[in-house]
Amino acid sequence: MDFLLQGLLKAFELLTTGDAETFSAVYATLIVSAYSLAVTLITGLPLGFCLGYFDFTVKKQVRVMVDTLLSLPTVFIGLLVYAFFTNRGPLGEWGLLFTLPGIAVGLTILALPIVIALSATAIESMDRQLRVALISLGANRRQLFLSTLWEARLSILAAALTAYGRVMTEVGIAMMVGGNIKWQTRTITTAIALETNKGEFAMGIALGLVLLLIAFGVNVSVSSLRKRY
Amino acid sequence: MGAFLYAIQDLTHVYRGKPVLRIDRLEIPAGCIVGVIGPNGSGKSTFLRLAGFVEKPTAGEIAYNGKPAVPFSSEVRHKVSLMSQEPFLMKRTVLNNVAYGLRIRNDLDRLEQRVHTALAWVGLDAKEFAKRPSYALSGGEAQRVALAARLILKPEVLLLDEPTASIDALSAQLIKDAALKAQRDWGTTLIIASHDWQWLYGVCDRVVHLVRGRLMGSGRENIIFGPWEPGENGLWSKVLSDGQRILVQKPPEALSAAVIDHAFIVPADQPFLDGETQVRLTGLITRLALEKASGDIVGSVLVANIPFTAALTENQVLENGLYPGRRVHLLYDVNSVRWF
Repeated sequence: MDFLLQGLLKAFELLTTGDAETFSAVYATLIVSAYSLAVTLITGLPLGFCLGYFDFTVKKQVRVMVDTLLSLPTVFIGLLVYAFFTNRGPLGEWGLLFTLPGIAVGLTILALPIVIALSATAIESMDRQLRVALISLGANRRQLFLSTLWEARLSILAAALTAYGRVMTEVGIAMMVGGNIKWQTRTITTAIALETNKGEFAMGIALGLVLLLIAFGVNVSVSSLRKRY
Repeated sequence: MGAFLYAIQDLTHVYRGKPVLRIDRLEIPAGCIVGVIGPNGSGKSTFLRLAGFVEKPTAGEIAYNGKPAVPFSSEVRHKVSLMSQEPFLMKRTVLNNVAYGLRIRNDLDRLEQRVHTALAWVGLDAKEFAKRPSYALSGGEAQRVALAARLILKPEVLLLDEPTASIDALSAQLIKDAALKAQRDWGTTLIIASHDWQWLYGVCDRVVHLVRGRLMGSGRENIIFGPWEPGENGLWSKVLSDGQRILVQKPPEALSAAVIDHAFIVPADQPFLDGETQVRLTGLITRLALEKASGDIVGSVLVANIPFTAALTENQVLENGLYPGRRVHLLYDVNSVRWF
Protein backbone atom coordinates (compact mmCIF):
# COMPACT_ATOMS: atom_id res chain seq x y z
CA MET A 1 0.00 0.00 0.00
CA ASP A 2 3.03 2.22 0.32
CA PHE A 3 2.94 3.11 -3.34
CA LEU A 4 -0.42 4.85 -2.86
CA LEU A 5 1.04 7.19 -0.29
CA GLN A 6 4.17 7.57 -2.38
CA GLY A 7 1.94 8.41 -5.37
CA LEU A 8 0.20 11.11 -3.40
CA LEU A 9 3.47 12.66 -2.31
CA LYS A 10 4.91 12.33 -5.82
CA ALA A 11 1.86 14.10 -7.29
CA PHE A 12 2.39 16.97 -4.90
CA GLU A 13 6.07 17.06 -5.81
CA LEU A 14 5.45 16.95 -9.55
CA LEU A 15 3.04 19.82 -9.41
CA THR A 16 4.91 22.01 -6.99
CA THR A 17 8.32 21.59 -8.61
CA GLY A 18 6.93 22.18 -12.08
CA ASP A 19 8.22 18.86 -13.48
CA ALA A 20 8.68 19.48 -17.20
CA GLU A 21 7.69 15.98 -18.35
CA THR A 22 4.50 16.05 -16.29
CA PHE A 23 3.56 19.50 -17.50
CA SER A 24 4.25 18.43 -21.09
CA ALA A 25 1.71 15.61 -20.64
CA VAL A 26 -0.76 17.97 -18.95
CA TYR A 27 -0.33 20.43 -21.82
CA ALA A 28 -0.87 17.72 -24.44
CA THR A 29 -3.97 16.49 -22.60
CA LEU A 30 -5.47 19.96 -22.32
CA ILE A 31 -4.71 20.80 -25.94
CA VAL A 32 -6.24 17.67 -27.45
CA SER A 33 -9.28 17.76 -25.17
CA ALA A 34 -9.86 21.47 -25.84
CA TYR A 35 -9.53 21.07 -29.63
CA SER A 36 -11.79 18.06 -29.74
CA LEU A 37 -14.39 19.58 -27.41
CA ALA A 38 -14.49 22.82 -29.42
CA VAL A 39 -15.08 20.97 -32.70
CA THR A 40 -17.53 18.60 -31.01
CA LEU A 41 -19.65 21.42 -29.60
CA ILE A 42 -19.61 23.47 -32.81
CA THR A 43 -20.80 20.52 -34.89
CA GLY A 44 -22.58 18.43 -32.27
CA LEU A 45 -24.89 21.05 -30.79
CA PRO A 46 -26.62 21.99 -34.08
CA LEU A 47 -26.90 18.31 -34.98
CA GLY A 48 -28.27 17.46 -31.52
CA PHE A 49 -30.68 20.40 -31.81
CA CYS A 50 -31.97 19.15 -35.17
CA LEU A 51 -32.30 15.60 -33.88
CA GLY A 52 -34.18 16.70 -30.79
CA TYR A 53 -36.23 19.50 -32.30
CA PHE A 54 -37.42 18.37 -35.70
CA ASP A 55 -39.60 15.45 -36.65
CA PHE A 56 -38.45 13.68 -39.79
CA THR A 57 -39.09 10.28 -41.29
CA VAL A 58 -35.89 8.51 -40.25
CA LYS A 59 -35.55 10.26 -36.89
CA LYS A 60 -35.88 7.05 -34.85
CA GLN A 61 -33.29 5.27 -36.98
CA VAL A 62 -30.85 8.17 -36.68
CA ARG A 63 -31.41 8.23 -32.92
CA VAL A 64 -30.67 4.49 -32.65
CA MET A 65 -27.51 4.98 -34.70
CA VAL A 66 -26.28 7.86 -32.53
CA ASP A 67 -27.06 5.91 -29.36
CA THR A 68 -25.15 2.93 -30.76
CA LEU A 69 -22.14 5.13 -31.46
CA LEU A 70 -22.06 5.99 -27.75
CA SER A 71 -20.65 2.50 -27.26
CA LEU A 72 -18.01 2.82 -29.95
CA PRO A 73 -14.80 1.19 -28.59
CA THR A 74 -11.99 3.71 -28.37
CA VAL A 75 -9.42 1.28 -29.78
CA PHE A 76 -11.66 0.81 -32.81
CA ILE A 77 -11.80 4.58 -33.32
CA GLY A 78 -8.02 4.65 -32.87
CA LEU A 79 -7.65 1.92 -35.46
CA LEU A 80 -9.89 3.70 -37.97
CA VAL A 81 -8.18 7.07 -37.52
CA TYR A 82 -4.78 5.37 -37.73
CA ALA A 83 -5.84 3.63 -40.94
CA PHE A 84 -6.95 6.94 -42.47
CA PHE A 85 -3.91 8.95 -41.34
CA THR A 86 -1.16 6.42 -41.99
CA ASN A 87 1.02 7.09 -45.04
CA ARG A 88 -0.87 4.45 -47.04
CA GLY A 89 -4.24 5.73 -45.85
CA PRO A 90 -6.59 8.05 -47.80
CA LEU A 91 -5.67 11.05 -45.59
CA GLY A 92 -2.01 10.12 -45.14
CA GLU A 93 -0.77 13.25 -46.91
CA TRP A 94 -2.29 15.43 -44.19
CA GLY A 95 0.51 14.27 -41.89
CA LEU A 96 -1.69 14.03 -38.83
CA LEU A 97 -0.51 10.66 -37.56
CA PHE A 98 1.44 10.93 -34.28
CA THR A 99 0.39 14.56 -33.80
CA LEU A 100 -1.84 16.26 -31.25
CA PRO A 101 -4.39 17.36 -33.93
CA GLY A 102 -4.50 13.71 -35.05
CA ILE A 103 -5.43 12.63 -31.52
CA ALA A 104 -8.00 15.45 -31.37
CA VAL A 105 -9.67 14.09 -34.54
CA GLY A 106 -10.06 10.68 -32.89
CA LEU A 107 -11.35 12.21 -29.66
CA THR A 108 -13.86 14.29 -31.63
CA ILE A 109 -15.25 11.09 -33.16
CA LEU A 110 -15.51 9.72 -29.64
CA ALA A 111 -17.21 12.80 -28.14
CA LEU A 112 -19.54 13.71 -31.01
CA PRO A 113 -22.19 11.02 -30.34
CA ILE A 114 -22.19 11.97 -26.64
CA VAL A 115 -22.92 15.64 -27.35
CA ILE A 116 -25.45 14.87 -30.10
CA ALA A 117 -27.35 12.29 -28.04
CA LEU A 118 -27.40 14.25 -24.77
CA SER A 119 -28.22 17.62 -26.36
CA ALA A 120 -30.97 15.98 -28.46
CA THR A 121 -32.44 14.54 -25.26
CA ALA A 122 -32.17 17.95 -23.59
CA ILE A 123 -33.98 19.66 -26.49
CA GLU A 124 -36.59 16.90 -26.72
CA SER A 125 -37.40 17.17 -23.04
CA MET A 126 -37.99 20.92 -23.25
CA ASP A 127 -41.50 22.26 -23.03
CA ARG A 128 -43.05 22.40 -26.51
CA GLN A 129 -44.55 25.74 -25.52
CA LEU A 130 -41.08 27.30 -25.69
CA ARG A 131 -41.21 27.28 -29.49
CA VAL A 132 -44.68 28.84 -29.48
CA ALA A 133 -43.56 31.49 -26.99
CA LEU A 134 -40.41 32.42 -28.91
CA ILE A 135 -42.13 32.66 -32.29
CA SER A 136 -44.97 34.62 -30.70
CA LEU A 137 -42.46 37.11 -29.33
CA GLY A 138 -41.02 37.62 -32.81
CA ALA A 139 -37.97 35.34 -32.89
CA ASN A 140 -36.57 34.45 -36.30
CA ARG A 141 -35.11 30.99 -36.98
CA ARG A 142 -31.61 31.88 -35.73
CA GLN A 143 -32.98 33.50 -32.58
CA LEU A 144 -35.24 30.47 -32.06
CA PHE A 145 -32.20 28.15 -32.26
CA LEU A 146 -30.02 30.23 -29.96
CA SER A 147 -32.75 30.93 -27.40
CA THR A 148 -33.72 27.25 -27.28
CA LEU A 149 -30.10 26.27 -26.67
CA TRP A 150 -29.86 28.92 -23.98
CA GLU A 151 -32.97 27.58 -22.27
CA ALA A 152 -31.43 24.09 -22.32
CA ARG A 153 -28.06 25.45 -21.17
CA LEU A 154 -27.79 23.42 -17.97
CA SER A 155 -28.49 20.11 -19.72
CA ILE A 156 -26.15 21.08 -22.56
CA LEU A 157 -23.48 22.01 -20.04
CA ALA A 158 -23.89 18.53 -18.54
CA ALA A 159 -23.51 17.04 -22.03
CA ALA A 160 -20.33 19.05 -22.62
CA LEU A 161 -18.94 18.00 -19.24
CA THR A 162 -19.67 14.34 -19.93
CA ALA A 163 -17.92 14.62 -23.30
CA TYR A 164 -15.00 16.47 -21.74
CA GLY A 165 -14.58 13.82 -19.08
CA ARG A 166 -14.63 11.13 -21.74
CA VAL A 167 -12.00 12.73 -24.01
CA MET A 168 -9.72 13.72 -21.17
CA THR A 169 -9.55 10.24 -19.71
CA GLU A 170 -9.33 8.40 -23.03
CA VAL A 171 -6.25 6.26 -23.61
CA GLY A 172 -6.78 3.97 -26.64
CA ILE A 173 -7.03 6.70 -29.28
CA ALA A 174 -4.22 8.76 -27.76
CA MET A 175 -1.97 5.72 -27.70
CA MET A 176 -2.71 4.46 -31.25
CA VAL A 177 -2.98 7.78 -33.10
CA GLY A 178 -0.52 9.77 -30.97
CA GLY A 179 2.07 7.06 -30.47
CA ASN A 180 2.85 8.21 -26.90
CA ILE A 181 5.90 10.23 -28.03
CA LYS A 182 7.65 11.90 -25.12
CA TRP A 183 7.46 15.73 -25.21
CA GLN A 184 5.24 15.51 -28.29
CA THR A 185 2.08 13.42 -28.04
CA ARG A 186 2.30 11.89 -24.59
CA THR A 187 -0.90 12.67 -22.70
CA ILE A 188 -1.53 12.03 -19.02
CA THR A 189 -3.38 8.78 -19.70
CA THR A 190 -0.76 7.35 -22.06
CA ALA A 191 1.93 8.38 -19.56
CA ILE A 192 0.07 6.51 -16.80
CA ALA A 193 -0.12 3.40 -19.03
CA LEU A 194 3.61 3.66 -19.73
CA GLU A 195 4.62 4.20 -16.11
CA THR A 196 2.46 1.27 -15.01
CA ASN A 197 4.12 -0.96 -17.63
CA LYS A 198 7.48 0.14 -16.27
CA GLY A 199 6.35 -0.74 -12.74
CA GLU A 200 6.46 2.92 -11.67
CA PHE A 201 3.14 2.77 -9.81
CA ALA A 202 3.79 5.87 -7.75
CA MET A 203 4.40 7.96 -10.88
CA GLY A 204 1.26 6.47 -12.47
CA ILE A 205 -0.83 7.31 -9.43
CA ALA A 206 0.66 10.79 -9.30
CA LEU A 207 -0.34 11.43 -12.90
CA GLY A 208 -3.79 9.99 -12.20
CA LEU A 209 -4.20 12.43 -9.34
CA VAL A 210 -3.15 15.29 -11.62
CA LEU A 211 -5.87 14.22 -14.04
CA LEU A 212 -8.41 14.18 -11.22
CA LEU A 213 -7.28 17.63 -10.14
CA ILE A 214 -7.88 19.02 -13.63
CA ALA A 215 -11.33 17.39 -13.73
CA PHE A 216 -12.09 18.88 -10.33
CA GLY A 217 -11.03 22.34 -11.53
CA VAL A 218 -13.25 22.11 -14.61
CA ASN A 219 -16.24 20.98 -12.55
CA VAL A 220 -15.79 23.73 -9.98
CA SER A 221 -15.69 26.33 -12.78
CA VAL A 222 -18.82 24.92 -14.40
CA SER A 223 -20.58 24.72 -11.06
CA SER A 224 -19.90 28.41 -10.40
CA LEU A 225 -21.25 29.21 -13.88
CA ARG A 226 -24.44 27.28 -13.08
CA LYS A 227 -24.95 29.26 -9.91
CA ARG A 228 -24.39 32.50 -11.78
CA TYR A 229 -27.15 31.80 -14.32
CA MET B 1 -59.96 40.43 -49.54
CA GLY B 2 -57.71 43.42 -48.97
CA ALA B 3 -60.15 45.12 -46.59
CA PHE B 4 -59.74 42.40 -44.00
CA LEU B 5 -56.81 41.89 -41.68
CA TYR B 6 -57.26 38.12 -41.89
CA ALA B 7 -58.69 36.29 -44.87
CA ILE B 8 -58.72 32.54 -44.37
CA GLN B 9 -59.60 30.39 -47.34
CA ASP B 10 -60.01 26.60 -47.63
CA LEU B 11 -57.89 25.97 -44.57
CA THR B 12 -57.25 22.40 -43.50
CA HIS B 13 -54.98 21.21 -40.73
CA VAL B 14 -54.19 17.57 -40.17
CA TYR B 15 -52.55 16.18 -37.05
CA ARG B 16 -51.14 12.65 -37.16
CA GLY B 17 -53.28 11.83 -40.18
CA LYS B 18 -56.46 13.11 -38.54
CA PRO B 19 -58.11 16.33 -39.76
CA VAL B 20 -58.44 18.65 -36.75
CA LEU B 21 -59.48 21.90 -38.39
CA ARG B 22 -61.29 22.83 -41.57
CA ILE B 23 -62.35 26.39 -42.32
CA ASP B 24 -63.81 27.14 -45.72
CA ARG B 25 -63.80 30.89 -45.29
CA LEU B 26 -63.30 33.33 -42.45
CA GLU B 27 -62.57 37.02 -42.58
CA ILE B 28 -61.59 39.19 -39.65
CA PRO B 29 -61.41 42.98 -39.92
CA ALA B 30 -58.67 44.97 -38.18
CA GLY B 31 -59.22 46.33 -34.70
CA CYS B 32 -62.10 44.08 -33.72
CA ILE B 33 -62.46 41.55 -30.92
CA VAL B 34 -63.28 38.02 -32.02
CA GLY B 35 -64.24 35.32 -29.55
CA VAL B 36 -63.76 31.64 -30.28
CA ILE B 37 -65.84 29.21 -28.27
CA GLY B 38 -66.28 25.48 -28.46
CA PRO B 39 -65.89 22.34 -26.40
CA ASN B 40 -62.50 20.91 -25.47
CA GLY B 41 -60.79 19.35 -28.47
CA SER B 42 -62.86 21.36 -30.93
CA GLY B 43 -59.79 22.91 -32.58
CA LYS B 44 -59.70 26.29 -30.80
CA SER B 45 -56.01 26.07 -29.87
CA THR B 46 -55.11 24.76 -33.33
CA PHE B 47 -56.96 27.68 -34.90
CA LEU B 48 -55.11 30.15 -32.68
CA ARG B 49 -51.71 28.58 -33.45
CA LEU B 50 -52.42 28.83 -37.18
CA ALA B 51 -53.80 32.37 -36.95
CA GLY B 52 -50.83 33.25 -34.73
CA PHE B 53 -48.50 32.00 -37.49
CA VAL B 54 -46.81 29.61 -35.12
CA GLU B 55 -47.70 26.64 -37.31
CA LYS B 56 -48.28 26.30 -41.01
CA PRO B 57 -51.62 24.83 -42.09
CA THR B 58 -51.53 21.49 -43.88
CA ALA B 59 -53.46 23.05 -46.76
CA GLY B 60 -55.11 26.35 -47.56
CA GLU B 61 -54.09 29.91 -47.06
CA ILE B 62 -54.15 32.57 -44.41
CA ALA B 63 -53.77 36.03 -45.88
CA TYR B 64 -52.69 38.81 -43.55
CA ASN B 65 -53.35 42.33 -44.76
CA GLY B 66 -54.07 40.84 -48.17
CA LYS B 67 -50.79 38.91 -48.44
CA PRO B 68 -50.40 35.17 -47.84
CA ALA B 69 -48.34 34.67 -44.70
CA VAL B 70 -46.63 31.74 -43.00
CA PRO B 71 -44.59 31.38 -39.79
CA PHE B 72 -41.47 33.61 -39.75
CA SER B 73 -42.62 35.69 -42.72
CA SER B 74 -41.80 39.35 -42.34
CA GLU B 75 -45.45 40.40 -42.82
CA VAL B 76 -46.41 38.88 -39.47
CA ARG B 77 -43.31 38.14 -37.38
CA HIS B 78 -43.32 41.38 -35.40
CA LYS B 79 -47.04 42.06 -35.64
CA VAL B 80 -48.90 38.96 -34.44
CA SER B 81 -48.45 37.51 -30.97
CA LEU B 82 -50.05 34.46 -29.40
CA MET B 83 -50.32 33.73 -25.71
CA SER B 84 -50.90 30.05 -25.03
CA GLN B 85 -53.06 28.59 -22.31
CA GLU B 86 -49.98 27.40 -20.41
CA PRO B 87 -47.95 30.54 -19.74
CA PHE B 88 -44.43 29.61 -20.79
CA LEU B 89 -41.74 31.76 -19.28
CA MET B 90 -38.06 31.34 -19.97
CA LYS B 91 -35.58 30.51 -17.21
CA ARG B 92 -34.81 34.17 -16.66
CA THR B 93 -35.96 36.98 -14.45
CA VAL B 94 -39.33 38.63 -15.01
CA LEU B 95 -37.55 41.67 -16.46
CA ASN B 96 -35.64 39.57 -18.98
CA ASN B 97 -38.75 37.64 -19.94
CA VAL B 98 -40.74 40.81 -20.62
CA ALA B 99 -37.79 42.48 -22.39
CA TYR B 100 -37.05 39.46 -24.64
CA GLY B 101 -39.20 40.58 -27.58
CA LEU B 102 -37.72 44.07 -27.59
CA ARG B 103 -34.15 42.74 -27.27
CA ILE B 104 -34.46 40.48 -30.31
CA ARG B 105 -35.81 43.48 -32.23
CA ASN B 106 -32.78 45.43 -31.01
CA ASP B 107 -35.21 48.00 -29.62
CA LEU B 108 -33.31 48.86 -26.45
CA ASP B 109 -34.41 52.44 -25.89
CA ARG B 110 -35.51 52.96 -22.24
CA LEU B 111 -35.85 49.20 -21.99
CA GLU B 112 -36.15 48.87 -18.22
CA GLN B 113 -38.65 51.71 -17.96
CA ARG B 114 -40.83 50.17 -20.66
CA VAL B 115 -40.73 46.81 -18.90
CA HIS B 116 -41.89 48.49 -15.70
CA THR B 117 -44.76 50.14 -17.57
CA ALA B 118 -45.79 46.83 -19.17
CA LEU B 119 -45.76 45.14 -15.77
CA ALA B 120 -47.97 47.92 -14.42
CA TRP B 121 -50.49 47.26 -17.21
CA VAL B 122 -51.01 43.76 -15.82
CA GLY B 123 -51.07 44.91 -12.21
CA LEU B 124 -47.56 43.82 -11.21
CA ASP B 125 -45.29 46.09 -9.20
CA ALA B 126 -41.96 46.26 -11.02
CA LYS B 127 -40.01 46.87 -7.80
CA GLU B 128 -41.31 43.62 -6.40
CA PHE B 129 -41.35 41.47 -9.52
CA ALA B 130 -38.78 42.68 -12.08
CA LYS B 131 -35.80 40.87 -10.56
CA ARG B 132 -37.74 37.79 -9.53
CA PRO B 133 -36.89 34.55 -11.37
CA SER B 134 -39.74 33.11 -13.40
CA TYR B 135 -39.94 29.95 -11.29
CA ALA B 136 -40.86 32.04 -8.23
CA LEU B 137 -44.18 33.19 -9.69
CA SER B 138 -47.68 31.86 -9.06
CA GLY B 139 -49.80 30.67 -12.02
CA GLY B 140 -51.71 33.95 -12.21
CA GLU B 141 -48.56 36.06 -11.94
CA ALA B 142 -46.82 33.98 -14.62
CA GLN B 143 -49.81 34.45 -16.93
CA ARG B 144 -49.71 38.20 -16.35
CA VAL B 145 -45.95 38.35 -17.02
CA ALA B 146 -46.52 36.39 -20.25
CA LEU B 147 -49.17 38.95 -21.26
CA ALA B 148 -46.87 41.88 -20.34
CA ALA B 149 -44.16 40.34 -22.56
CA ARG B 150 -46.60 40.58 -25.48
CA LEU B 151 -48.22 43.92 -24.64
CA ILE B 152 -44.82 45.64 -24.52
CA LEU B 153 -44.51 44.82 -28.24
CA LYS B 154 -47.81 46.63 -28.98
CA PRO B 155 -48.81 43.92 -31.47
CA GLU B 156 -51.29 44.44 -34.28
CA VAL B 157 -52.94 41.15 -33.35
CA LEU B 158 -53.01 39.50 -29.95
CA LEU B 159 -54.32 35.95 -29.76
CA LEU B 160 -55.21 34.69 -26.31
CA ASP B 161 -55.82 30.99 -25.72
CA GLU B 162 -57.90 30.48 -22.58
CA PRO B 163 -56.19 33.46 -20.91
CA THR B 164 -58.19 33.20 -17.71
CA ALA B 165 -58.42 29.43 -17.30
CA SER B 166 -57.10 28.03 -14.02
CA ILE B 167 -55.94 31.32 -12.54
CA ASP B 168 -57.24 33.38 -9.64
CA ALA B 169 -60.10 35.85 -10.11
CA LEU B 170 -57.93 38.95 -9.64
CA SER B 171 -55.38 37.84 -12.23
CA ALA B 172 -58.21 36.94 -14.62
CA GLN B 173 -59.74 40.41 -14.28
CA LEU B 174 -56.37 42.14 -14.72
CA ILE B 175 -55.66 40.09 -17.84
CA LYS B 176 -59.06 40.91 -19.30
CA ASP B 177 -58.59 44.62 -18.59
CA ALA B 178 -55.05 44.71 -20.02
CA ALA B 179 -56.11 42.93 -23.22
CA LEU B 180 -59.03 45.31 -23.75
CA LYS B 181 -56.74 48.28 -23.09
CA ALA B 182 -54.51 47.12 -25.94
CA GLN B 183 -57.50 47.02 -28.26
CA ARG B 184 -58.75 50.40 -27.10
CA ASP B 185 -55.39 52.26 -27.05
CA TRP B 186 -53.53 50.79 -30.03
CA GLY B 187 -56.33 49.25 -32.08
CA THR B 188 -54.94 45.77 -31.48
CA THR B 189 -57.12 43.05 -32.97
CA LEU B 190 -57.97 40.55 -30.26
CA ILE B 191 -58.77 36.90 -30.98
CA ILE B 192 -59.72 35.16 -27.77
CA ALA B 193 -60.53 31.50 -27.20
CA SER B 194 -62.27 31.00 -23.89
CA HIS B 195 -64.86 28.99 -22.05
CA ASP B 196 -65.90 32.22 -20.36
CA TRP B 197 -68.57 32.90 -22.97
CA GLN B 198 -70.27 35.45 -20.75
CA TRP B 199 -67.14 37.63 -21.02
CA LEU B 200 -66.79 36.92 -24.74
CA TYR B 201 -70.38 37.84 -25.51
CA GLY B 202 -69.89 41.00 -23.46
CA VAL B 203 -66.75 42.27 -25.21
CA CYS B 204 -66.57 40.62 -28.63
CA ASP B 205 -67.67 42.18 -31.88
CA ARG B 206 -68.08 38.67 -33.17
CA VAL B 207 -68.14 35.21 -31.63
CA VAL B 208 -67.40 32.13 -33.72
CA HIS B 209 -68.24 28.63 -32.64
CA LEU B 210 -65.84 25.79 -33.38
CA VAL B 211 -67.10 22.23 -33.17
CA ARG B 212 -65.08 19.22 -34.25
CA GLY B 213 -62.76 21.53 -36.14
CA ARG B 214 -65.51 23.25 -38.14
CA LEU B 215 -66.94 26.74 -37.81
CA MET B 216 -70.51 26.55 -36.64
CA GLY B 217 -71.74 30.13 -36.56
CA SER B 218 -72.21 32.62 -33.75
CA GLY B 219 -71.95 30.35 -30.75
CA ARG B 220 -75.61 30.55 -29.84
CA GLU B 221 -76.20 27.13 -31.37
CA ASN B 222 -76.75 24.26 -29.02
CA ILE B 223 -74.78 21.23 -30.06
CA ILE B 224 -75.72 17.85 -28.65
CA PHE B 225 -73.42 14.96 -29.36
CA GLY B 226 -74.71 11.41 -29.86
CA PRO B 227 -75.11 8.53 -29.36
CA TRP B 228 -78.79 8.60 -30.29
CA GLU B 229 -81.13 5.69 -29.80
CA PRO B 230 -84.45 4.98 -31.55
CA GLY B 231 -87.55 5.79 -29.49
CA GLU B 232 -91.31 6.23 -29.87
CA ASN B 233 -93.20 7.82 -32.79
CA GLY B 234 -90.25 7.49 -35.11
CA LEU B 235 -88.19 9.91 -33.03
CA TRP B 236 -84.71 9.25 -31.68
CA SER B 237 -83.50 10.34 -28.30
CA LYS B 238 -80.57 10.92 -26.00
CA VAL B 239 -81.29 10.17 -22.35
CA LEU B 240 -79.83 12.71 -19.93
CA SER B 241 -78.47 11.93 -16.47
CA ASP B 242 -81.72 13.07 -14.79
CA GLY B 243 -83.90 10.91 -17.06
CA GLN B 244 -85.05 13.70 -19.42
CA ARG B 245 -84.86 12.95 -23.14
CA ILE B 246 -83.64 15.17 -25.95
CA LEU B 247 -85.79 14.19 -28.90
CA VAL B 248 -84.74 14.50 -32.54
CA GLN B 249 -85.72 13.16 -35.93
CA LYS B 250 -83.74 10.16 -37.20
CA PRO B 251 -80.05 11.17 -37.27
CA PRO B 252 -77.78 10.43 -40.25
CA GLU B 253 -75.62 8.35 -37.90
CA ALA B 254 -76.05 7.25 -34.31
CA LEU B 255 -73.06 9.41 -33.28
CA SER B 256 -74.00 12.53 -35.28
CA ALA B 257 -74.13 15.88 -33.48
CA ALA B 258 -77.52 17.61 -33.35
CA VAL B 259 -77.64 21.39 -33.77
CA ILE B 260 -80.52 23.27 -32.16
CA ASP B 261 -80.33 26.82 -33.47
CA HIS B 262 -83.30 28.33 -31.72
CA ALA B 263 -84.41 27.42 -28.25
CA PHE B 264 -86.88 29.36 -26.12
CA ILE B 265 -86.97 29.85 -22.41
CA VAL B 266 -90.21 30.06 -20.41
CA PRO B 267 -90.61 29.97 -16.63
CA ALA B 268 -91.35 26.44 -15.42
CA ASP B 269 -94.28 27.61 -13.26
CA GLN B 270 -96.13 29.40 -16.07
CA PRO B 271 -98.73 27.48 -18.12
CA PHE B 272 -98.14 27.17 -21.86
CA LEU B 273 -99.41 25.04 -24.76
CA ASP B 274 -97.20 22.22 -25.94
CA GLY B 275 -96.96 22.19 -29.74
CA GLU B 276 -97.10 18.88 -31.59
CA THR B 277 -93.50 19.02 -32.63
CA GLN B 278 -92.27 20.98 -29.65
CA VAL B 279 -89.88 19.38 -27.19
CA ARG B 280 -89.80 20.57 -23.60
CA LEU B 281 -86.81 20.21 -21.29
CA THR B 282 -86.55 21.50 -17.76
CA GLY B 283 -83.48 23.14 -16.29
CA LEU B 284 -82.05 26.05 -14.33
CA ILE B 285 -80.89 29.41 -15.66
CA THR B 286 -77.22 29.61 -14.78
CA ARG B 287 -76.18 32.86 -16.47
CA LEU B 288 -77.52 35.85 -18.37
CA ALA B 289 -75.07 37.86 -20.49
CA LEU B 290 -75.41 40.91 -22.73
CA GLU B 291 -74.15 40.30 -26.25
CA LYS B 292 -72.13 43.34 -27.35
CA ALA B 293 -72.63 42.79 -31.10
CA SER B 294 -76.43 42.37 -31.14
CA GLY B 295 -77.52 43.92 -27.86
CA ASP B 296 -79.42 40.69 -27.11
CA ILE B 297 -79.37 38.98 -23.77
CA VAL B 298 -78.04 35.45 -24.00
CA GLY B 299 -79.29 33.03 -21.38
CA SER B 300 -77.63 29.79 -20.36
CA VAL B 301 -79.83 26.98 -19.07
CA LEU B 302 -78.38 23.86 -17.52
CA VAL B 303 -80.48 20.83 -18.41
CA ALA B 304 -79.16 17.84 -16.47
CA ASN B 305 -75.45 18.40 -17.13
CA ILE B 306 -75.77 19.98 -20.59
CA PRO B 307 -75.66 23.78 -20.94
CA PHE B 308 -78.06 25.28 -23.52
CA THR B 309 -78.10 28.86 -24.73
CA ALA B 310 -80.98 30.94 -25.99
CA ALA B 311 -81.34 34.56 -27.04
CA LEU B 312 -83.74 36.70 -25.03
CA THR B 313 -85.05 40.21 -25.34
CA GLU B 314 -85.06 42.63 -22.43
CA ASN B 315 -88.88 42.38 -22.31
CA GLN B 316 -88.79 38.59 -22.09
CA VAL B 317 -86.36 38.78 -19.19
CA LEU B 318 -88.40 41.41 -17.37
CA GLU B 319 -91.90 40.05 -18.07
CA ASN B 320 -91.02 36.45 -17.24
CA GLY B 321 -88.82 37.36 -14.30
CA LEU B 322 -85.86 35.41 -15.61
CA TYR B 323 -82.78 35.38 -13.44
CA PRO B 324 -79.96 32.95 -12.68
CA GLY B 325 -81.24 30.16 -10.46
CA ARG B 326 -84.79 30.29 -11.86
CA ARG B 327 -86.28 26.96 -12.91
CA VAL B 328 -87.38 27.16 -16.54
CA HIS B 329 -88.55 25.13 -19.51
CA LEU B 330 -86.43 25.09 -22.61
CA LEU B 331 -88.43 24.60 -25.79
CA TYR B 332 -87.39 23.73 -29.31
CA ASP B 333 -89.00 22.37 -32.44
CA VAL B 334 -87.95 18.82 -33.19
CA ASN B 335 -88.13 19.53 -36.94
CA SER B 336 -85.71 22.45 -36.68
CA VAL B 337 -82.82 20.28 -35.53
CA ARG B 338 -79.91 20.26 -37.95
CA TRP B 339 -77.19 17.63 -38.12
CA PHE B 340 -73.47 18.13 -38.03
